[in-house]
Amino acid sequence: MSTNILEKRLVIVSGKGGVGKSAVAAGMALLAQRHGLRVLAVEMASPGGVATHLSSGPLDFEPRELRPGLHAMRMVRSEALLEYLALQLKLPGMGRFGAVARAFDALATAAPAVREIITIGKVLWEVREDRWDMVVADAPPTGQIGSYVRAPISIAELVPTGRIRGQSAWMGETLGDPATTELLLVTLPEELPTTETVETMSWLAKEQLVPAPRIIANRVLPPIKEKASPPGVPGEMVQLHRSLWKEQQTWLEKLPADLQIPFLFGLFTPGEVAARMSDELEALT
Amino acid sequence: MTRTLLVTGAGGVGKTTIAAACGVVAARAGLRTLVVTVDPARRLASALGIASLADEPLPHEEEPGLWAAMLDSSASWRAVAMRHADPDVAGRLASNEFFRAASEHFPASQSYAAADQAVTYVQARAWDLVIVDTPPSGGGIDFFSAPAQMADLVGGRLLRWLTGGPLPGRRFFYNRAARPVLRIADSILGSDLLERVSEFLLDLRTTYDGVARRGREIEGVLRDSSILVVTTTDPAPVSEAVRFYRELPGLASTPTAVIFNRALPDRWVAFEDHDSLSPQIQHIVESWSAETLRQRDVREEFSARYGAKVATIPWSSKPLTKLDGLAGLIEVSEGIPWEEILPTDAAG
Repeated sequence: MSTNILEKRLVIVSGKGGVGKSAVAAGMALLAQRHGLRVLAVEMASPGGVATHLSSGPLDFEPRELRPGLHAMRMVRSEALLEYLALQLKLPGMGRFGAVARAFDALATAAPAVREIITIGKVLWEVREDRWDMVVADAPPTGQIGSYVRAPISIAELVPTGRIRGQSAWMGETLGDPATTELLLVTLPEELPTTETVETMSWLAKEQLVPAPRIIANRVLPPIKEKASPPGVPGEMVQLHRSLWKEQQTWLEKLPADLQIPFLFGLFTPGEVAARMSDELEALT
Repeated sequence: MTRTLLVTGAGGVGKTTIAAACGVVAARAGLRTLVVTVDPARRLASALGIASLADEPLPHEEEPGLWAAMLDSSASWRAVAMRHADPDVAGRLASNEFFRAASEHFPASQSYAAADQAVTYVQARAWDLVIVDTPPSGGGIDFFSAPAQMADLVGGRLLRWLTGGPLPGRRFFYNRAARPVLRIADSILGSDLLERVSEFLLDLRTTYDGVARRGREIEGVLRDSSILVVTTTDPAPVSEAVRFYRELPGLASTPTAVIFNRALPDRWVAFEDHDSLSPQIQHIVESWSAETLRQRDVREEFSARYGAKVATIPWSSKPLTKLDGLAGLIEVSEGIPWEEILPTDAAG
């Protein structure tokens, strides 16, 4: 199996909230675009997360070309549903589906697998399109990612017959195919993100729904090689840096990362952060 | 009377630690204080004396006046809904697969259960101060909107959408052939999914009066609470903090203050005297100096834009395993408006 991430059709980026997941997703899309791939970036969670990092205004459901070869869209469940109904029922006049769409929306609240299959399903339909070489999903956080990757199976359990059940089989296969799908879990070398990522990984290993994820540790401090500490303010800085570094190392030992992204000190615009991410992600090609 | 302090913010910013630290300080100021938290890190749980999974408040063994309770994070509004259901409805709900799914996955489920439980402690009048570390789901704002979302789910709006008309009785479904909505849903989802879900919602609706009444009680307590919003200066938690300042005045009350955790001291800004330092140390000094400047800019902008009282807690990497460490965190903090949080006779 190739480990070159650029050969994958679908890259799902998840992680605990606040670890820099959207920045990594934006960086991944930039990396693929720089290598000449036709990319679709999908903002599934945190509206604006991908958009700000790609220096764009708010995204729409309809993909928009942000730079040559790089399109981006925002997942909107109601629109994904309308599109699905229009395609499946092959009926003209979307307006007539208003009542159906609302009914499905209500259903999606009471039967969660329906809610998740609509959005992850839309992403998977796009993966099937010849239009894109790679789809990058800025996915929901690790707390919810399980119910998304499990949605095809949950639907098959919930719905005994019907069209959506028939489609759940190929959706599950696409998610589970290591030649197609890559899952990146972004984390920080701190207690809570490490614990949550370890829990997510053991759940994923048990369920075998997606290929084994790669771990990206964000905001990793460099070691200070010198032993001595200067006096005054520089000494305070060195002391804090050393103790934070030591703390980070204990978490990196518990959860070894496939890639470490350095801590960015000082002021960076979201666009600069994404550009740095894309440089660092080059290591996964 | 029992005062309530809600400590809220995005996950991973130190919210639980700060809630616990406030609890230690309040207890040492002579207040009977209960700290309610969800899933704390292990070290913190043992510092708080709640290493075991107790959701009953237990007094801390070493700290008089301090109680702690940990909410069961898998608790849901399932129990709440069951409390308000007739016995035969409760029986049907208990065996309904959608009820189970909805009580586990409904976005505000965990938040609702936490709010309900926390309010029970406030109403018990056994403490002077109840500090609630709000669950981070939905960015934390869920905790405040959960009662309304719950009433929405139970109240029949979904049911009307589902069936495309006024509230139906069960007979509605016998008329399947005449309803295009049902036929389309059948072709995609199989023949009876919609019907099974609707039956569940019809049962759930019978609990509406009880759930809505409890929801109003919860909202009342949230409105009378002090709120501390915890964040770091990283972009994601800051945008969550902004959401609290924009949305909480409508849902509960205006936050009392925003606490920036992991703050670097202002004296680190633009530190230039480093000719005598080695190149690597010079680089470290420049890096932290730039980071300190960025932090200060973020705090000043937040304060100016939202008229927020800003407090800081310095960045430290010392693991907080002891109560004294927690209390020390508050000693080195700056700007927390205790006079607005603690009952007046105990402030200062």
